[in-house]
Amino acid sequence: MQNIYESSVNSRRKSNYIVAGFSVFALVASYFLASALSYYLFGFYDGLFAIGLALLITGLSSFGSYYYSDKIIVGISGARRADEHEFKLFYQVIDNLSLGSNIHRPALYVIDDTAMNAFAAGRDPDHSLVCSTTGLLANLNRSELEAVFAHELTHIKNYDTRLMSLAAVMVGSITLMADWLLRIGLRSRRGKDSGAGIITLVIGILAALLAPVIGQLLQLAISRSREYMADVGSVKITRQPSSLISALTIIDHDLERLEAANKSTAHLYFTNPFHQDSSFKAEFNRPGLDWFAGLFNTHPPISDRIKALSQMS
Amino acid sequence: MNLTTILGLVVLGVLAYGVSIYNFFVQAKVQIQASIQEIGNQLKRQAELIPNLETSAKAYLTHEKDILKLLADARKLSDQGKDASSKLSELLPKLQIVVESNPQLKGADVIQNLMSELRDTSDKVMYSRRSLIDLTADYNAKLAVFPANLVAQAFGFKPEAGLKTPTQGAHLEVSTSDIITPKVKL
Repeated sequence: MQNIYESSVNSRRKSNYIVAGFSVFALVASYFLASALSYYLFGFYDGLFAIGLALLITGLSSFGSYYYSDKIIVGISGARRADEHEFKLFYQVIDNLSLGSNIHRPALYVIDDTAMNAFAAGRDPDHSLVCSTTGLLANLNRSELEAVFAHELTHIKNYDTRLMSLAAVMVGSITLMADWLLRIGLRSRRGKDSGAGIITLVIGILAALLAPVIGQLLQLAISRSREYMADVGSVKITRQPSSLISALTIIDHDLERLEAANKSTAHLYFTNPFHQDSSFKAEFNRPGLDWFAGLFNTHPPISDRIKALSQMS
Repeated sequence: MNLTTILGLVVLGVLAYGVSIYNFFVQAKVQIQASIQEIGNQLKRQAELIPNLETSAKAYLTHEKDILKLLADARKLSDQGKDASSKLSELLPKLQIVVESNPQLKGADVIQNLMSELRDTSDKVMYSRRSLIDLTADYNAKLAVFPANLVAQAFGFKPEAGLKTPTQGAHLEVSTSDIITPKVKL
């Protein structure tokens, strides 16, 4: 049994380890890829130019999606502004939770769908929004809604959109450099005769093939660790693990697809909208495949989340 | 990178850290004051809301003397500036039973609204308290840890009292009737 402060520290520590590992990986992979790239382009090992260019391209192309993340996600998901009179309970719950967590009330949006899900977006707590499906609002009682939205508000407080955008930029720039290396390096005549050239070629190709995949897996690991942190944060605001457990159990049983979600927005939602984290979806529950398939999951399995919550007093 | 530049950078780093910790303490103090005012704000909201709810529900609850008495007690407490949440939490289950057994009341939006609003005011007072507790905990924790406590001592920051939980009152007393094991006739 852990108290809320221990759980908070532990989940944050685990997430920090993964982020640190990701940073080390990003540095090492960028170094090898950029060195190999500059060797083929310029004949010497200086990676700084390649890293800089890749980061610039990825950063610029991602900046818009980070800065306007709230408007973009609303547009993609077909959400509409929640009317204060139509969704009085929604507004009341979010008002109370914002009081309890010392942030300004985020803008509220609604998706008209009977599937039960919610997400939060926005670059910082002052430019954030929470969106819920009408199915979620209709099927959960007040305590369960408090638990789910406290989870979303914790995502906002932890600046998770910012973290995931940074991770996406890093993985994007690594993927870009890997792509360049595979195109340029294999066609270049420079390295094929000398010994050093062969080694650079081999390491470069290995890095170019593995780095994007490893980067994405690490990014997904970060996403899962932030989900655990948000669960702990939810309990910190509401002090009622039972209501979040109850909400997760109800959502676990509902296997309806959320039409508004697609692969690029799946990671934002409260539970995986394709139900890859569900305990009941038969094709994801084959014992041998579980661990490996789990690595590609944006969310931890709901059963694991419930188990972690049951450990909290 | 000779020794003087390195030393200079270290000193700059320490100064920057000191500034950020000092700013944290000052900001936390302001937020704690604001959250105390917020609790007062929510109690005032409760005090203004209860009489309105009472009059609107009286028409439907003419025969429910104990519920009306509890509502009147809650109003007295909130008029005195105290938190009426304990009276409200006594009241809500009784009201729920009455509503369930009386189909006329069940359909009345007024009663549903009453129950929802009463619960909401108690929740709001609770959450504004929670905010104060968390802010005070973060501030006091930072006061005590090393090396932030050095900055705190240097500028004379003191621990904040936070929420003064009552050390006496009905919720701490156990009456003899609570201790007696109930006898069941089988």
